[in-house]
Amino acid sequence: MIVVATIALALIALAALLQAAFLMRRENRQDPVSHWLLAAAAALLFATLVERSIRISFVAVTNTYESLVFFSAVICAVLFVLRLAMRRRGFSPFVVFGATIVCLALLMISSSPLAPKEAQPPIPALQSIWLVLHVTLAFIGESFFVVSFVAAIVFLAAKDEDRRGDMDRLMTTSIGIGYPIFTAGALIFGAIWAETAWGRWWGWDPKETWALITWLIYTAFLHTRLVKKLRGRTSAVLAIVGFAATVFTFFGVNFLLSGLHSYS
Amino acid sequence: MKSLYRFLKSIRLAVVLILLITVLSLLSTLVPQGRDDAFYQSNYPVATYRLVTLLRFERFFSSALFLIPAALFTVNLGVCAVDRFLRRARSSAAKRYGPDLVHIGLLVLIAAGLVTALARQEKDFTMAAGEQVKLTKNYSITLESFEFLKYENGSPKAWISTVNVLHDGKEEGSPFAIKVNHPLRLRGVSVYQTSWANEGTLSLKDKAGSEVTARTGQGFEDGDSFWYFADVVEDGGVREALLQEYQGQDLVSMRKVGLAGSVGPYTVAKIESRLVTGLRAVNDPGFIALVAAVILIAAGLALTFIQKKREEKT
Repeated sequence: MIVVATIALALIALAALLQAAFLMRRENRQDPVSHWLLAAAAALLFATLVERSIRISFVAVTNTYESLVFFSAVICAVLFVLRLAMRRRGFSPFVVFGATIVCLALLMISSSPLAPKEAQPPIPALQSIWLVLHVTLAFIGESFFVVSFVAAIVFLAAKDEDRRGDMDRLMTTSIGIGYPIFTAGALIFGAIWAETAWGRWWGWDPKETWALITWLIYTAFLHTRLVKKLRGRTSAVLAIVGFAATVFTFFGVNFLLSGLHSYS
Repeated sequence: MKSLYRFLKSIRLAVVLILLITVLSLLSTLVPQGRDDAFYQSNYPVATYRLVTLLRFERFFSSALFLIPAALFTVNLGVCAVDRFLRRARSSAAKRYGPDLVHIGLLVLIAAGLVTALARQEKDFTMAAGEQVKLTKNYSITLESFEFLKYENGSPKAWISTVNVLHDGKEEGSPFAIKVNHPLRLRGVSVYQTSWANEGTLSLKDKAGSEVTARTGQGFEDGDSFWYFADVVEDGGVREALLQEYQGQDLVSMRKVGLAGSVGPYTVAKIESRLVTGLRAVNDPGFIALVAAVILIAAGLALTFIQKKREEKT
């Protein structure tokens, strides 16, 4: 099934190429095919996970490789759904392209040695429905943060007021959808899982603290929407910093903080 | 008084406090938490060590640096929640109660965290089959059996401690299987599966017939050497004790010794082992408040989403 995931990677790369070609024509309109390529890639990635789930007799979201495949599949699905839902208003081709590149990068990391691909049955601590809800909902929420991140970059780069307005709306809508899903997944179900597995619902370990930091940044973002002077640029910066925190919570805590702690 | 109220209910204050707590929490993850003083002294330059310990950055989440902004944020959240609620009640505009529920839920969550931090009790213990442990004034458990299941590749599949619950000395209900992610919940205490161990006992005799006994994790003296009894291993159906020889702090040798084997002046007379389960009893009075907070936050988030969608439609 690694081959299927590789085909999905090729489809996403092809979608990115098509989007780039259309962007270079400076027509500011969407290509007619790439979202279908993304939908096909999402289907293939989900199929990879279903096959692995059958093999390990558990929902396959228990290691870095599976998490990255799931995250990429959800980003593709979100882009496809948003493209269809925003047909009339127009879904910025810059945002679709940026989010596709993020997705491509995640999938490339999943194919690197950083993410071992062997399907392993879950150890006792991972055998929990709360873990499945924790991981899947956190990534679904974060997929919307990917859209808000790219929209924030386009907002800061844009000179045209209309485009800035569109990006501001897209940023707010995507965080508005992603935030409650992320809260439920990363924090609420994470705390329930920790309590059920170890008898403590919060322990201030670096991963938990960084999930909280991410949540606090997006909380600050939502509150900047209520203060006129903080809207726009400050909100956009927070959307970018929030996504950086999301990425750090996923990769940085595992690879960098453990390094910082390794001298102990 | 009015200006203090305005300050405390300010969204700007909320944003500033959220960002302050964020930055401080971020910095705290760069410093390993809760180690002893010697660790920081030996791993940091003197100036950094002094700064870290002065600000109590090594125990950040119980330090004033965290607690003061967190307390101010709690007050800000409380005043905001009350003010929002009163304003909404007075105005005829569309009433969005979702954020109010989220704010109240967060206040309950902070209260739950406080109760947990101050009153949570936890005790780790081991049990072998047939043993009984008293959990509370009324509840005890006896271990009926302990199983360690493995996958074909040898990785752990499940640790199952089957226990009988005794209430005031009388058996209550049918046996309960405590597993990781499947704790036993009784009134006032929950019991979690945390570990397991092969608990060994080693008996040795010298030529004069005097006996020395050690359990796994313990050891015995032999002149300049100290023999540490690390584990009991089964090799080809033969039971052996895994011993490590230390001279001062240095590990100088490691060997497996079977029955009748010799260690210095001693001869191994008995090697016994039994499988014990590691359990953790937890009493967390904040747990009920946590559940209430989770329900309030979830309901608040859902309500916000539903009301927003409804407003968009109209």
